[in-house]
Amino acid sequence: MKTLLIANRGEIALRVMRTARRLGWRTVAIHTDLDADAPHVRAADAAVRVASYLDIDAVVAAARESGAGHVHPGYGFLSERAPFARALAEAGITLVGPSADVMDEMGRKDAAREVAVAAGVPVVPSYSLTDDATTYAYPVLVKAAAGGGGKGMRVVRDAGDYAEAFASAQREARSAFGDDTILVEKYVESGRHIEVQVMGDTHGTVLHFFERDCSTQRRHQKVLEEAPAPTIDDDQRAAITASAVALAQQCGYTGAGTVEFLLDNSTGAFYFLEMNTRLQVEHPVTEEVVRVAGGHVDLVELQLLVATGEPLPFDQGAVTLEGHAIEARVYAEDSFHGFLPQAGRTSIVRWPASDGIRVDHALEPGQEVSTSYDPMLGKVIAWGTDREAARAALVGALDETAILGITTNTGFLRALAASDEFRDTTIDTAWLDDHEVPEPDPDVARVFGAWTEVLLDTRPDSRQGGSGPWLADGWRMGADPAPDTVVLGDDLVVVDRHRARVSHAGHLHDVRLVSAADHTVHLLVDGRAEHAVLDVQRDVVEVVHRGQRWSWVRPDPFGDRGTAAGDGTLLAPMPGTVLAVNVVAGQEVTEGETLGVMEAMKMELALKAPFAGTVTSVGAGAGDLVKLGATLFVVEAADV
Amino acid sequence: MRELVDDLRARLARVRQGGSERARQKHTDRGKLLARDRVDLLLDPGSPFLELAPLAAHGMYGADGDDHAVPSAGIVTGIGRVSGRACVVVANDATVKGGTYYPMTVKKHLRAQTVAAENHLPCIYLVDSGGAFLPMQDEVFPDREHFGRIFFNQANLSAAGIPQIASVMGSCTAGGAYVPAMSDETVIVRDQGTIFLGGPPLVKAATGEVVTAEDLGGGDVHARTSGVVDHLAEDDAHALAIVRSIVDTLPAARPAREPAAEVEEPHEPPESVYDVVPTDTRTPYDVREVIRRVVDGSRFHEFKKLYGDTLVCGFARIFGYEVGIVANNGILFSESALKGAHFIELCNQRKIPLVFLQNITGFMVGREYENKGIARDGAKLVTAVACSVVPKFTVVIGGSFGAGNYGMCGRAYDPRFLWMWPNARISVMGGEQAASVLATVRTDLEDEAAVEAFKAPIRDQYETQGSPYYASARLWDDGIIDPADTRRVLGMALAATSYVPIPEPSYGIFRM
Repeated sequence: MKTLLIANRGEIALRVMRTARRLGWRTVAIHTDLDADAPHVRAADAAVRVASYLDIDAVVAAARESGAGHVHPGYGFLSERAPFARALAEAGITLVGPSADVMDEMGRKDAAREVAVAAGVPVVPSYSLTDDATTYAYPVLVKAAAGGGGKGMRVVRDAGDYAEAFASAQREARSAFGDDTILVEKYVESGRHIEVQVMGDTHGTVLHFFERDCSTQRRHQKVLEEAPAPTIDDDQRAAITASAVALAQQCGYTGAGTVEFLLDNSTGAFYFLEMNTRLQVEHPVTEEVVRVAGGHVDLVELQLLVATGEPLPFDQGAVTLEGHAIEARVYAEDSFHGFLPQAGRTSIVRWPASDGIRVDHALEPGQEVSTSYDPMLGKVIAWGTDREAARAALVGALDETAILGITTNTGFLRALAASDEFRDTTIDTAWLDDHEVPEPDPDVARVFGAWTEVLLDTRPDSRQGGSGPWLADGWRMGADPAPDTVVLGDDLVVVDRHRARVSHAGHLHDVRLVSAADHTVHLLVDGRAEHAVLDVQRDVVEVVHRGQRWSWVRPDPFGDRGTAAGDGTLLAPMPGTVLAVNVVAGQEVTEGETLGVMEAMKMELALKAPFAGTVTSVGAGAGDLVKLGATLFVVEAADV
Repeated sequence: MRELVDDLRARLARVRQGGSERARQKHTDRGKLLARDRVDLLLDPGSPFLELAPLAAHGMYGADGDDHAVPSAGIVTGIGRVSGRACVVVANDATVKGGTYYPMTVKKHLRAQTVAAENHLPCIYLVDSGGAFLPMQDEVFPDREHFGRIFFNQANLSAAGIPQIASVMGSCTAGGAYVPAMSDETVIVRDQGTIFLGGPPLVKAATGEVVTAEDLGGGDVHARTSGVVDHLAEDDAHALAIVRSIVDTLPAARPAREPAAEVEEPHEPPESVYDVVPTDTRTPYDVREVIRRVVDGSRFHEFKKLYGDTLVCGFARIFGYEVGIVANNGILFSESALKGAHFIELCNQRKIPLVFLQNITGFMVGREYENKGIARDGAKLVTAVACSVVPKFTVVIGGSFGAGNYGMCGRAYDPRFLWMWPNARISVMGGEQAASVLATVRTDLEDEAAVEAFKAPIRDQYETQGSPYYASARLWDDGIIDPADTRRVLGMALAATSYVPIPEPSYGIFRM
């Protein structure tokens, strides 16, 4: 039996294992302490602890100890590190990927560019650094030769800004990559990101599996990916795929790789950008649309086939396209508030499961999501007979996706996939950097939260719900039943079950319950069928509607608000000694900031600002003995 | 009957508005919730509210909508669930005469405390009152059952282990200051609630000191300095949340009686009662048709069906609770009185609560009956009712006249609750009979016309005073109910009275 060590974690590790297991391979996982109980560890036949997924020696040692003949690197981590490929080769272990030399060559933008030119592949026109910068046709792109991920890149629109941009790109390149070689190229104002999936075997064959369009990206991070590219015609497709194959052949590429191109929207010309020498995150969209002799293709299976020295078992003519697929990357981030990474423990996790939907993920209920690793939680891939069908399926699938406990970008993806701009393919690679996707309205989610809370609170078996004659139906003597008021955060929502209405701040909705079971509630809201996944807890109500998570914390009556505020005078709570005074009169302080510390009765007590404001007086100095009730600090509230 | 019910609902809807539109606007503009909204927010989601006497003071101080009217006597009282626990709620309505205490306000407040005492239910006072209504101080202040009794009750309720909780949501002046001060645990709303024995004008008059209400007795003063209150709230909603939390910390109350069986709905829908009861109380009908619409599964185990058949007695269940039902089906004779006394003894022996469905013109009169000693038998029934130790519930579903009122557990016989249907009539005797009796003792009425002229105003007086609205205004009852709600109301009351164990029965002398 062949043994494959997967030098990765998360969804890609699981995805590789699935294929390996199907093909009869034994699988070995590696994990850090943080991941000791992660899904990929439990899915593997064996697991080895490593200090870090980036520790080449440890990973090679793990492969050796576990008897792995092959190592699949996934994406990220060590997947494009030539030293890793070399270390494996020295240990007599086969990397599922290209050779270290090819990685080296294609990993450098300047070297890759030379390969492309030699292969007759169009490259972005570049300028010689020895030329006078004022002679360049602006705008130009200044970028690090060793770069990636947008680091060390600058768009320069005017010759006057060139020198400064060049210097800063160089500084960034030096610190990020340890190499400050800089290239200067024509800058394409509006472009689409088109990439071609290629696969080379050790017998000299290179095939392509058509292209993907990954133009919907934010700061060079892909958000939505699709196949085939929606804006190119057959001639362009033929030219671009042929270029990719030529390039791969030129460098003697083996295994799965991706050749990235920039399509200039104004001219229709395409230019080689770079080659990724690994399996891509977005490879599933290719798998969903490509047919080989009518059947689906498994790129990991082909990778393993090539890695064991077998030839690719079909020729280019057998590879065809069928329908359209779109992938959305689900991240632990708050897309509507600065795309901040989110951490926490998931509570309820619901992934979509319908025909035409594929989900590659490694996220479970009760899982701790940390910011230590990539924030991607999973990928939702929708297939349809054409782009509109795939897009509708994706929107539907994201509506079914519900992750509670932590905030994710699912609502953002849903809004984006449903947008006119995405439908009309007017989103270019810069669009998300210049446009804001409007945050969804919480109105319907609020209706769900309030309605469900009343539903739960009034059940006869709930803590508060009455039964028999005291059934919680809002009965009033000689009048219609009273509506219920639900406190959601700062909002008071009135739920009138008798009239089937929910109102909040002047918004009135007709609401009818369709069904409620297992945290999923279906309502007719103003005649429209809506559903949401909810977790109603005593202190917080969480609602996921259309992928977006809303969470309303219920105020604790004994929380700070009851005792904070009031008077900004801090008196000595007991006679004692002032140990420290941290502020001076006139200083601005934030709520809860420690103004000073005093000691008495063998206890230290921090004196904290009751609210944000300005210290107007300081009544004692460090070392002073103060009496009970002595005025120590006076804080004047900041105007809110 | 439907018209009577519609009229009842319309009157209730009007009084539930509280004070004038202007007064309500002024109240809410200050960030305060209306009294009934406070109650709704205090109660658990969906909790029913068994309101007590919403029509108190109706038409007593001014007609409906008139400036002098005092809707609901300016105070909302009733039983509702708070943090899963049945509590008595007393909420002043500051939009009605500043929440001041009229005679009926006092009576209603005291009645709520009686309900709490009899049934061991925690009391929650939502205070927003200017104290006694000064122009009527003689009817509010000095007597045994006047203002002072409120605090007497608070002390004794607390002594009996019945929690007293107050939330000061507006002014709480003079005597009113004792409501929070006498409570076990008290909340105040910052910038809204004030507690002082003498307000700023009185202080200025007495000592010349000029002080603002907030500095004299505001939330911060009482929460931080005086210690008169225990919790400081930011607003009404916050105060009510604190009250809910206080109730949540009370030791659990265990019912002494639980439903004995699964609940079964009656076979007939509740509204069908409108069609079986004639509006004119003089028209006879079979009271069993009412019972069928009140009890579980319309099942009635009738006792002595063939004897003394003008009084229907028997066992049934309401929302699973065992009850003994005593219902009039005509005038009371000796046999019916004896049967009733026997049945009431049975219920006391078995500790089964009693439900009286009262529709009685009185005991039979005439030589034959007097000579046979109907007074003796009537006395047995009255003794049995008076000495009953089981919870009693009376619903006046028709007439309530004369000694029949006593034998059928009128207000004087301490039923835990007494409700009236909108078709009910209550007086010592019928208007026509009273007029005739009074005409007979007059010697100066020369002809028929003179007799008629004398009788007409008496009839009118009895007509007015016999109305259930006249009765409810004066708190002779706990409210006028929609007949279709009878089962629900009785069920809620049975549950609310289930926390107190029933003692051993003992009786006075039954005249044999």
